[in-house]
Order: sequence, then C-alpha cells, then structure tokens
Amino acid sequence: MKVLVPVKRVIDYNVKVRVKADGSGVDLANVKMSMNPFDEIAVEEAIRLKEAGHATEIVAVSIGVKQAAETLRTALAMGADRAILILASDDVHTDIEPLAVAKLLHAVIDAEAPGLVICGKQAIDNDMNATGQMLAALLGWPQATFASKLELADGKAVVTREVDGGLQTIRVPMPAIVTVDLRLNEPRYASLPNIMKAKKKPLEEKTPADYGVDVSPRLSVVRTVEPEGRKAGIKVGSVDELIAKLKDEAGVL
Amino acid sequence: MPHDGQDLNLDAADGTALLDDLTALTGAAVPAADAMLAAATEALRARVTRDGRVSGAALERHQTAAHGLAWLATYVESLRQMQGWAERLQAEGRFGEIEALIHQIAFGEYLAQMRGGIPMSQGEILRPADLGIDAGALDTPQVDTLVAHGNGNAARLRLVALMRDNAGRATVGATGLDEEMEMIREQFRRFSDDKVVPHAHEWHLRDELIPMSIIEEMAELGVFGLTIPEEFGGLGMSKMSMCVVSEELSRGYIGVGSLGTRSEIAAELILCGGTQDQKAHWLPKLASAEILPTAVFTEPNTGSDLGSLRTRAVRDGDDYAITGNKTWITHASRTQVMTLLARTDPETTDYKGLSMFLAEKTPGDCAHPFPDAGITGGEIEVLGYRGMKEYELAFDGFRVKGENLLGGVEGQGFKQLMQTFESARIQTAARAIGVAQNAMEVAMQYAIDRKQFGKSLIEFPRVASKLAMMAAEIMVARQLTYFSAREKDAERRCDLEAGMAKLLGARVAWAAADNGLQIHGGNGFALEYSISRILCDSRILNIFEGAAEIQAQVIARRLLG
Repeated sequence: MKVLVPVKRVIDYNVKVRVKADGSGVDLANVKMSMNPFDEIAVEEAIRLKEAGHATEIVAVSIGVKQAAETLRTALAMGADRAILILASDDVHTDIEPLAVAKLLHAVIDAEAPGLVICGKQAIDNDMNATGQMLAALLGWPQATFASKLELADGKAVVTREVDGGLQTIRVPMPAIVTVDLRLNEPRYASLPNIMKAKKKPLEEKTPADYGVDVSPRLSVVRTVEPEGRKAGIKVGSVDELIAKLKDEAGVL
Repeated sequence: MPHDGQDLNLDAADGTALLDDLTALTGAAVPAADAMLAAATEALRARVTRDGRVSGAALERHQTAAHGLAWLATYVESLRQMQGWAERLQAEGRFGEIEALIHQIAFGEYLAQMRGGIPMSQGEILRPADLGIDAGALDTPQVDTLVAHGNGNAARLRLVALMRDNAGRATVGATGLDEEMEMIREQFRRFSDDKVVPHAHEWHLRDELIPMSIIEEMAELGVFGLTIPEEFGGLGMSKMSMCVVSEELSRGYIGVGSLGTRSEIAAELILCGGTQDQKAHWLPKLASAEILPTAVFTEPNTGSDLGSLRTRAVRDGDDYAITGNKTWITHASRTQVMTLLARTDPETTDYKGLSMFLAEKTPGDCAHPFPDAGITGGEIEVLGYRGMKEYELAFDGFRVKGENLLGGVEGQGFKQLMQTFESARIQTAARAIGVAQNAMEVAMQYAIDRKQFGKSLIEFPRVASKLAMMAAEIMVARQLTYFSAREKDAERRCDLEAGMAKLLGARVAWAAADNGLQIHGGNGFALEYSISRILCDSRILNIFEGAAEIQAQVIARRLLG
C-alpha cells in the first residue's frame, strides 16, 4: 500500500512572530521556517506503518514556494521514499488556501492512488484545520480526524480520536484520510545515513497548471494585528477589597 | 519575549550601524593584514636565525614574540576566512544585515587588536613592538575606517536587536554551509535539545557517566562511524559534517560532543597506520560503537613533551607486557580498547622508540573500574569536562596481543599519532564553538529574563556588547574551523590551520563562558545555574589537545619554516 503524506513549510514554532508593518500578514522575510510539527508526526506515522509492513511506499507532497524542497528533503531523510513539490507561489507570504491545496492533493491522489493519506490536523501558521476534511469531501473518502492512535486491519483504519469528552475510537474503510494530533507519536531524528540517502531520493517538481488547478485566493485578509500586550495589574489593600473586586469587576465569584 | 512597557527599539540612535561598501573595505584590509604578518615574520626570523637556520635556543628566548606571531597569523587567517565567507554569501544573496554586522564587528575588532594588542591570554597582550615591528602596514584608509567605526556601540546594539529576532535559528548569521549540512545541524540540535540539555547539568553536578542509552542513540544516528569509510562500516562523510555534529552535541554538553573524539582518534590511527586486518577488524566495531575506545598517551611526567614517555612494552613470546604509569585517561573504565602509546625500544629516549597498541580491555563498572589483571586505576576529580571521568592508570605486566601492535611494526607510534592531530584539533575547535554557542544562548536568555532597574539586562549596552562580541567571535572561530575542515576534506596538509582554529576557538569559548557568567552576576556563581558548568567545561579547551602555548609554538615553527 502506498501512503501519501502532505507536508507544509511553516514559520518555526520557536520564532517570535511579528506582524508586517502594513498589517497585511505576518513577516516571513528572513525568519526560520520548518516542517509543520503535525506534519512531522504524520511522516513519522507513515514510516512506522512501513516498518510494520503495512505500507510499501511513502510519498511526501508539499505545495508552496521552491524552498519547500528543503522541507521535503527532511521528510525524505526521516524515511519517505519520494517527494513531489508543487510550486504554487514565488512569494513566501502567499498562503495557498486549504481548498486549493485540497484540490491539488485530489489531483495528486488521482495520479498516485494511495491507500491512505496521513496529514497533520492543521498547520501552525494559520490554524485553518480544513485541508484534510476538504480533501475527504472532494474525494468522497472517509475521514478520521485528530488521531491519537492508528491501527490498520482488514482494509480498515481504526483511529482513536481526541475529542472533548475523552477518546473516541472509530473504524473507517480505506482508502481514507487520517489527520493526526500531537500525541500520536514522537517524530524521529533523521540519522546521518538517512540524510545521505535522502540526497538520492527522487523529488519531482510540478506546478498547479500541471494539475489544472486554479490556486488564486478566494479569501481576503482584512487585517492582521498582534495580540494585545498584558496590562499591568493592581495591588489591593485587603482581602475584602479583593473579594469585592472579584465579585463586582471580574465577575468571577 | 518582550515584557510590559519594554522598549523593543535597540536601534542605534546615531543612524545606520553599517559602513558603506563593507565587503570592499574589508577586502582591502586583508592585504594590509598580510603585509603586517610578513613584516612580523621577517623580523622574528632575523632574531632567531643562527647560521642560516632557525635556532631552537634563540626561538625559546623569543618565545613571546614567536607565539605572538602565531596569534597574529591566526588573526590574519581569520580575517581572510571571514572575507571569503562574506563574499560567498553575497554571491548567493544571503549576506543579510546580521551577517554584515558580524563581519564588520569582527574586522573592526581584530584589526584594532592587531594594531594595539592581541590578548594571547588575559595577562599577555601582544603588541607590535613585541614582534619587533610597528603596525605601519595597517596604515591604510580602509583599515582606519574599520578600526574607527567597525566595532562601534551602534553596530553591537543593532546586532543584538537582530539576535533577539533570530529565535529558533541554530546559529547567529548564516554559516555558509550547504543545505545538507544545515539539515544535519538541525537534527542534532533537536537531539541535543531533547535528550542532552535537560540532563547535562545533573550529570555534571552528580559527576556521573553519560548514560549508555545516550551513546546508543548517538550510535544509531551514525555519530561514531561518521568519517570512517563505507567499506569499513562507516558513513564516509566529510570532516565538515563531523564539525557540525560536534558543534551541536557540544552545545548540549561538552561530554556528549567529546564521546566521538576518542572514536575519531582511534579510527584515524587505524586508518592511517593499521594493517588491512586491523582495519577490517576494528573499524566496523568502532563505527557501530560496539567498541568504545580510550586514548592512553599522557604520563605523569609526560604531557606536551610526549616523545619522552617511559611506559614500557616488552616483548614476551607473541605478546607484549605493558608496565608504567599513565594519566588523564578520559573514559578509561567503560571502554573496550585503549589506543596505548608505549616504548618498545628501551635504548631510545625520544619519539623514535615508541609504538602504538590497540590494547583490548574489559569494561569496568563503579565497583570494579579495571577488572583486568595488570591494570589498576584511580579517578581524578575534575572541575568540568565530566561525563566520561578521568583516570590515572598503572600498568604492571598488562598483556597485549602481538597482533594488536598498530601497523605490525615497532617504532611507528609517534608518527602514527601525529597523523591524527589534524582531525583531533579540527574536532576540538568544533567542540569549542559548541560550548561558546551554548554560553551565548544561556547568557542571552538570562539577559532577557532578568530585570534590574526596571528593564531587562539586555537593554544595558555593556550586557548587549558582551553578547554581540560572542556572536561575532563565534562566527570567526567557526569560519576558521570550517576552513581547516575543508582543507582536510580536500586532503591537503592542514596542521597549521587546524592549530589556529583550535587556538582561537578555545579562547573564544572561555571568553563567552566567562562573560556569560558575568551577565548572570551572583547567580552565575551558583552551581544551580548551568553557566557555572559551562565555565568549568570551557576551561579545558585551552588545555587539552595541545595547550594554547604548545599550539602557538607549533604554529610559529611552521611559519618560520
């Protein structure tokens, strides 16, 4: 079985995000970019499926700027077999919207015919949490989102999902879309021999036109602002005053 | 993270911090620096030449000048490498403001020191007059501009402002290495952050051995076979990749970054001097870390003057019996093989009668550190550089199989060991960079978090300046180290370059640790804070793998020809 893993290049989680002066978005010029952490977990899960004998080939796909090739190389160094880069923008500041990504992935899936798609539940840059779901809808495939455990048996995926009330286990027939949550696994480090091997693994470059998909944005960003800074606190003179303020001003008592 | 009401604007008040046409200015300063070095070399040569050749006695009389020449040459090579780095980045469109500031500060500072005095140590400032010259060669308009404005307050403060935005990046400024090397750095940085950083300080404080589980994970990642050829079970990767791995592991903990050193030395010894059988037998086991080696060279009365060592290896049937005392043996107990240097020819008193052995031993534990017959050992308690433990060993008829004489021929030991010096020094320079990087990061975080007089310490120029100089000098040491690694990878002789990288790297690491501790104030003096460990760890770098004075001596000898 072939497993497809979409990966996104996003602003590194260590970076202190700054909003561009004109408020049009986040400044990505010269900041460190990395693989979306949820996608790393997806890659790791695919590798574990391959090591367990469930998967035979892992294809990593990224959609974005040419530097996303680095992100794909990381996926290859971790253990993916080959990679497809769809060059959808020249500018790092152009975010390709989930629907466009889902359409492109749909086209890739038509060509590749994977038995399973594992993707991160969301990208940490814009937190859309939509691509996996949209892709399932476009394909008419079952979806199992927010997976914290994944097992394959008899052509079905048994997925434990982290939901508000606790853990929910569902079974979906494959092919299916699984989106993964933080606690599914701990991604491995790419070893030196695998980093060496990654150089020789195929990385194919495509464009949205190759798949006949229009990636022009449908959403417009009205405004981006930094979160308001914390305001200074006050000192209260007595416990009575504190209780009064908690009751009347904060309304928490 | 910014705090309430904190002024984020550290920009220079007096306009731009960067000089116009920076790389043209610095490019013009390199030949001037070369000219000063040439003048100094000629002046010293005139002082130490007797009857047409360099006299050892005269050289010793002028030792300060000779070592000063080595330092001057190290500075000049540093500037040349920084210029090469800047130009390569510029060609790739990657020479950004942060790189330009580092470049400018480095040139401004090093040129000023060349004119005014180079600190060989805190108390020994080498001035042009000590070399018997003046700094006239540096009297050019470009050098004047760089000295006057290169390392100004504005440049340093701007650099620190950019460093604060640099979060998440493994280095301050682009290293100039390729994508593959940076991927290696990224992976080993993550490994260090996850597996080493959370425990390093405990290991140090409890004076514990680094757990085997860490060594096993490093082995899986390929650390121990990094530079061993593929035909012998290694990865056949470059010395450059060894530098990057050593840097990132040492940034976590010097002990972890040093685990590979002994395997590197042992593998180099066997590769350069071993027989085909010895290569086939030992190298795959070293590469997989199935066998951990320890280097057994130094003796109680024989440190830098290794040629005079006295431990004897006496032929006894097919085997050898080893008798004598060794000291400063790192990781002596837990290892399976000693690369052991001993005298096989009792008629000699110099390096000619020495042989190298691959002496097998049984790994010990806490209760019985040396279970084999004929070997006893005592631990040497140390300030820093823990995690592997130091021992002194006494051999009394300890048996080594005859087949384990390296190369199968006696009397080659010293020569075989010399061949490993280049690699060992490059790796040590990389370890120094990792330690310095750690000091800088820890100090910077403290300077951001700690508030006095209503603001973060980093807002005070004296604190920021310390951090800026750390960043600039770390890049200089890095470029000098990468240069020697490139030379080694191209199979060119690089003892001079490797020595310079090690010499400078050790000083940079100590300065970073010392200043980093100063930023911590009293807290830095508390064992609880990791900077106290980093200070102790960084101190070894100026001593082992060739003390700073020996390093300078070797460099000076090469320069004088």
